[in-house]
Amino acid sequence: MALKEARRVELEEMIARVALADRDAFDALYDATSAKLHAVCLSVLKDRPEAEETLQEVYVRIWQSASRYASNGLSPMTWLITIARNRSIDRLRARKSRPTTAPADAAATIPSTQPGPEAATIHAQQRRMLDECLAELGEPQAGAVRAVYLEGDSYADLAARVGKPVNTIRSWLRRSLLRLKDCVGQ
Amino acid sequence: MTDDMPLTPEEIDDALAAELALGLLEGDEAQDAVARLSSDPGFAQAVRDWQERLAGLALNLTPVMAPARARQRIREQLGHGRAPLSDDPNTRTPWWRGTWGALSGLAAVAAVALFLWMPGQTPAPAAPDYQAQLASEDATLRVTARLDGREMEIALEQGAAADGRDYEIWWVKPDGSAPISLGLVPTSGTARMALPEELEPGEGIQIALSDEPSGGSPTGQATGPIVAIAPLTPV
Repeated sequence: MALKEARRVELEEMIARVALADRDAFDALYDATSAKLHAVCLSVLKDRPEAEETLQEVYVRIWQSASRYASNGLSPMTWLITIARNRSIDRLRARKSRPTTAPADAAATIPSTQPGPEAATIHAQQRRMLDECLAELGEPQAGAVRAVYLEGDSYADLAARVGKPVNTIRSWLRRSLLRLKDCVGQ
Repeated sequence: MTDDMPLTPEEIDDALAAELALGLLEGDEAQDAVARLSSDPGFAQAVRDWQERLAGLALNLTPVMAPARARQRIREQLGHGRAPLSDDPNTRTPWWRGTWGALSGLAAVAAVALFLWMPGQTPAPAAPDYQAQLASEDATLRVTARLDGREMEIALEQGAAADGRDYEIWWVKPDGSAPISLGLVPTSGTARMALPEELEPGEGIQIALSDEPSGGSPTGQATGPIVAIAPLTPV
């Protein structure tokens, strides 16, 4: 826990220095996080060259938007992961030539009114709980949540996989997500 | 909450926040939800809470190191490592122009070093008309390209491509047109090839090596990073 907090603070400091155009800090941030963000890109895109290119876009974006990080209230890893995931999903959707869905990045750029260390602790606990709660949620619900988050599945993808109408899948996944939240929030 | 009970308005809002965080919304619904982010702080917080909650899934992924060239390209795109920081990182420069600045200094250093180390040592066989000495930044790869008439000789002096990779040779014209592939660096020793008809040796031509999948670029354009570039100089 103490270690996790130390890492969080370290990453926050790196991002703060990147916001001041500190290239050494940017290098350090890249060293500390690029393998994880590359894994996120690969998980969604399942294509090495595309994931690599997306990773490059992600770090260009991190460099450009670091100054807006402090006000959004997300933990540093969540902010970085969210950028990597959203970029990857944009590209995945473009590949499938479907209209892109919401730029969920927007949420990360809206200033938060309630960041604070208290929220951070709650988030750390939630993260620990996530695995247990997914296990409790059971299959195929947990698998669907993972497929959506880690592989960028859309409702249409899930519906095609299960052979059920999109609306049915949607209300099913919504309930699964709310159940997951109830469990994590306990 | 049971499966047959309708969701409460609060639950519907929260589910919507989850869907926005996950990128599951489409069309008008997506636009409305994005617009709501700036007008409804509670909703924006709910979206961030979902991002925070679900990021744990990504934290469980096994890290995968990205190739070194990824960082190099990021630096190039941001104009890092070059003297003036006047480049707009949003404009995409073709690699043969973008890498020019970064690597031309290096090529000059390599050329000077070679000049110092090999005074008067001309290759014993018929002296070539042009040559280019190529070396990677860390000097683990060294390749010499010699042009005798219209015959090009590529000699691998040191280094080798990684497993499943090849170094591809490119003819880079000074006019900024797309580089032309001259084939692959041999895995050992020397390879000879005739210069394609439309290519004319002369001032300003550069030879570049890029790191490509085995067999060379699948697209006809360099897909991997440029590992070395040097001017073709009269001998």
